[in-house]
Amino acid sequence: MLRFFQQTGYLFVRGLKQSLRPLPALIPSLFMPLFFLVVNAGAFANLRHMPGFNAGSYLVFYAPVAILQAVFFSSGDAGIDLVVDITSGYFDRLKITPIHPMSLLLGKLLAVGVRVMAQMLLVVLAIVLLGGRFVTGFAGLPLLLLLGALFGMAWSGVGLTIALLTRNQRATQSAFVLFFPFSFITTAQLPLNLLSGWYRTAVILNPVTYVLEALRALTTYGWQWHTIVNGFLAAAGIAVVTLSAAFYAFNRNVTR
Amino acid sequence: MTNDASIRIENLTKRYGDFVAVDNISLTVPAGQVFGFLGPNGAGKSTTMRILSTLLAKTSGAAFVAGYDVETQPDEVRRSIGFAMQDISLDSMASGWENLQLLGVLYGLTPKASKARADELLQAVGLSKVADKWVNSYSGGMRRRLDLAGVLMHQPRVLFLDEPTQGLDPQARRVIYEYLEGLNKDHGTTLFLTTHYMEEAEALCQRIAFINKGKLLMEGTPEELKAKVDKPNATLDDLFIQVVGRSPAEEDESALVQGTDPFVQGRR
Repeated sequence: MLRFFQQTGYLFVRGLKQSLRPLPALIPSLFMPLFFLVVNAGAFANLRHMPGFNAGSYLVFYAPVAILQAVFFSSGDAGIDLVVDITSGYFDRLKITPIHPMSLLLGKLLAVGVRVMAQMLLVVLAIVLLGGRFVTGFAGLPLLLLLGALFGMAWSGVGLTIALLTRNQRATQSAFVLFFPFSFITTAQLPLNLLSGWYRTAVILNPVTYVLEALRALTTYGWQWHTIVNGFLAAAGIAVVTLSAAFYAFNRNVTR
Repeated sequence: MTNDASIRIENLTKRYGDFVAVDNISLTVPAGQVFGFLGPNGAGKSTTMRILSTLLAKTSGAAFVAGYDVETQPDEVRRSIGFAMQDISLDSMASGWENLQLLGVLYGLTPKASKARADELLQAVGLSKVADKWVNSYSGGMRRRLDLAGVLMHQPRVLFLDEPTQGLDPQARRVIYEYLEGLNKDHGTTLFLTTHYMEEAEALCQRIAFINKGKLLMEGTPEELKAKVDKPNATLDDLFIQVVGRSPAEEDESALVQGTDPFVQGRR
């Protein structure tokens, strides 16, 4: 058992290094959330006067969206890292070591979780520098990071599954397009009470909405425990689906 | 566990649908022998090696490596073997030292023992001075030597080498072959290798088998095999051409790399 944890630990460190190298490659995954934040906070600043819009500023309203996008972008790379290993033959090299096969996937998921939290912290710092203030303060930060890491690991399951099933870089990269509906058909732009019609229904059906609302509770609205718990449950539910798929694809792969 | 047979293959077959990649082959390689497994591209050599190294499931037959059944005792097989694959398989965004250190730990060495073994092997393959550089800055020869060091981290009893000198210049090839020869002589490591360099196979291998289109055609010492050629002073090159044919055959499914990218593989 000790050896299992040690080997998983080494694979986690390797996965983390892989996802951070080279460092300039991380710029897009930080730039995109901050770009959307700055543009939207500027463009929609006057929305704070709209009846029913109950956040102090659009920057603070949009802050959790930027944080969520950082999670999407950083966890989305997990599949690409894996498919690079598969196509280079390195995954085969790891597969013929006498380790518990699950160490390979667990090490990668832990690396995703830590990378997600690091990128979230950078985005949080940028938001604070832009003048945003989080209502739950430092006390809310651990929950914010934990929820982000959980959702990040869940989302990485999509890329990991596609990588394992297709063993194709372009197919794995194409998983990126899923970011758009799951990220934008939410309460990203406006609170739920200001949405209507089919869009409102789609937002309610999108499980990511609940993750976003929990993040927003921690950054913007305060300790709304019901919303926060729902966010964790939604992230856990997504994780069950995506990671089950990833574990299935992984087992299929390692059992030859 | 068998005693002196390092590799034992009994009626081994691998099918992909209707296509037979490995067709009912049987052979035995005694412990400590250098065995050449030769044949043209797509003959079934790599498929056989992938089955023996537990990367691929067989369709039928049996295979034992270091006395262990590749199907029912894969972990024991993995602890006993090293496999230098046809394509160098390293983490190119990590240093040479990081590559070896990780592999050592995954093979069950303690971090301290893994570090010591990595240092020893980096010295042995002449990469100590670049051990901290990322592998993507290494030349082809340096990568191949590091790859070889990686498969030796746990001191395997059986070494599978799939074209270990492919794409290297004669000097780099000689360095690798001398190292392999030393491994066999000094440590009794069994070597099971494929190569397209017949002169190297002849110099290094005590026994050789020829495979083509999945079928094992002949097996023997280099001298025994050369005697089968209808020509005085025949070489293994002559035998290869006699067995396979003078001109490249029209490529068929056997030349495809089976079991890779399903988006590309087998789609028309």
